Amino acid sequence: MKISGKGRIGVALAAAAGLATAAPALAHHSFAMYDNDHQLKLTGTVSHFQWTNPHVYIELENGDAGAKVKHWTIECANPGILDRVGWKFNMIKVGDKLTVVIAPLRTGEPGALLKQVTLPDGRVFTNGAPAGKALIQ
Amino acid sequence: MTIIRTCKAALAASAALALIGPAAPAFAAATIAGQPDISGAWGHAFPRPGQPADPRLNTGPLPAPPLKPDYMAGWNAMREKQKQADEKGEPTAGLEARCLPDGMPTLMFAIYPLEILQTPGRVTIIEEAFSQTRRIYLGEAQGKVGEVEPGYYGHSVGRWDGDTLVVDTLGIKDSVPGYRDIPHSDEEHITERIRLIDPDILEDRMTVEDPKVLEHPWSFRFVYKRLKGYHMLEYVCENNREYTDPNGGTHMQVGSP
Repeated sequence: MKISGKGRIGVALAAAAGLATAAPALAHHSFAMYDNDHQLKLTGTVSHFQWTNPHVYIELENGDAGAKVKHWTIECANPGILDRVGWKFNMIKVGDKLTVVIAPLRTGEPGALLKQVTLPDGRVFTNGAPAGKALIQ
Repeated sequence: MTIIRTCKAALAASAALALIGPAAPAFAAATIAGQPDISGAWGHAFPRPGQPADPRLNTGPLPAPPLKPDYMAGWNAMREKQKQADEKGEPTAGLEARCLPDGMPTLMFAIYPLEILQTPGRVTIIEEAFSQTRRIYLGEAQGKVGEVEPGYYGHSVGRWDGDTLVVDTLGIKDSVPGYRDIPHSDEEHITERIRLIDPDILEDRMTVEDPKVLEHPWSFRFVYKRLKGYHMLEYVCENNREYTDPNGGTHMQVGSP
């Protein structure tokens, strides 16, 4: 796996956050909505990308054969956190083919939290420390 | 290859900073005479891969909040409810899930960077999340409990005690939870002692007093590293797709915008 230099810092950041003695509320909300233990890896085409607070969103049309869910709403961290792990506001565009690792909503709705994204050029980015690591590759 | 490229870019960036470094004072805003220079961006600094954590940034364990028995029971019950809601996958919506800032004192945890501005008669602290702004009026008298208009950040006055900025805050809104979501009363009073413990390390020793709610003052500390050259980002909470159900649980809205 190829992971960008800044992405690696993101991983270290996640490790460091685990050691923090006093980590209060996350900047926006708890991640308990997502099923971290049943992560999915899928490939799809971006139909919408929003670089906004409190979260960045990727709308992904699932291109995998036989996929039950055709459209995923994928929540990412926010521009500040993503900047610090190497993202750029314009690095994802409508029409891009992405491979993502996601933690789906526990309700079964077609929404998820991003864990890792692979861009068309092969670069891999994490979703920053609070969102946690991809458990599958 | 990407790693090497990024490292090269980082080296080039440090070289560029080194070049502009010596010239910077000529353009920098003058430090206020007699005040240590605490201006600029501050935040948690995380070790690079393979590097040990900076021991200067270790805040040590957080002492348990010395809540009076009734409040302690209420706080424990709330935390149990939060735990159950998390297990159910419907976490309790805090202020942030409603796009509201965390206010004093939690903003000083600085989940995102802080920026400090020193101007005559004032120290201003901006937290990147929600662009929260605290204004600390130097040399002004503090108001009285019950007479200060309540706000998310309270009313803060400060003075320099040698190398330490001593800040006194009261008037924090009822609806703003205390640190770690403890309750507070209108008698809550926060004292901060902010000082450089190294040229690039800033410490905030915070003491929360609240005679109605706490058995005795609750003290803890935050430590920040100077983020040289960091430019604060804007934060407008414009695209909140989380919503709260009638039971206070948080959900995510799915589907194209």
